[in-house]
Amino acid sequence: MTTASKLNLSWLILMILTLSGMLVGEYAEAGFWITVSVAGVTALKGRLIIDQFMELGQASPLICRIVKIFGLVVPALMILTYLLGPELAQVTQLPD
Amino acid sequence: MTVPARIPGGKAIWVGIFAELTEFTLMFLVYFFARINHPQAFHEGPQKLSLAAGTANTVIMLSSSYFVARAVLAMRKGRSDITLRWLFAAFATAVGYPVIKVLEIRWNLDHGVVGRGDVFQMSYYYLTFNHLVHVSWGLLGMVWIMFRTGFGAYTANNHSGLIAFASYWHATDLIWLMIFPLFYVLP
Repeated sequence: MTTASKLNLSWLILMILTLSGMLVGEYAEAGFWITVSVAGVTALKGRLIIDQFMELGQASPLICRIVKIFGLVVPALMILTYLLGPELAQVTQLPD
Repeated sequence: MTVPARIPGGKAIWVGIFAELTEFTLMFLVYFFARINHPQAFHEGPQKLSLAAGTANTVIMLSSSYFVARAVLAMRKGRSDITLRWLFAAFATAVGYPVIKVLEIRWNLDHGVVGRGDVFQMSYYYLTFNHLVHVSWGLLGMVWIMFRTGFGAYTANNHSGLIAFASYWHATDLIWLMIFPLFYVLP
């Protein structure tokens, strides 16, 4: 597959994932699997940008690693705060 | 002989990009801190925003980013005329972002979503305004890159300025991809 074809395909997948996100936002109720789905789609979209548009696979490994970690922070926190929200809230509240 | 690690666009732009990523990482942490302490406001929040506006801006950012990637690809083949066309497409698309933002803010105000609203609305305005500032810088940078391309400043072997801009623009797109589900999608 040529680089241009990869870019075209990536853009198409990103559009489909964005529209699927719109449907989730319109119709889905809160729940574990919805949270996991939204986190997964967010991570996948981020990875497509990093790998296909930014082409960081060919860059310095340090730059590549830092940006990939950035792309996982929000999805990971979505799941973590869904599972442990009340416990984390207790830990992060200031004492009276 | 060791080959030096490649830094796309040069060190200077990556100082800026890492500063941008650090800034938004801190703001995301504040968002999640607020979310776990005010779950009801964040559960109801996305229903008060315009999902259509958020989706439109996501399509705009992704498409503009795609056009910039195609511009880089054309320059690699030494086709600065094609590069300039892709950059025009990227700019024409990206200008839609602030336009949609203005329309969205008007819609918000008509529907009671204000900066002095609840914690969800405050974090929404803080994060999205910050992102708008970064997009505005990117638009100015894009105009500069278009001028440079038009005047033949880049070649197939030397176009690090174009790569630097592309890296910044993709990073700004990446940040929006994180903002969109947090405020418009996640119930």
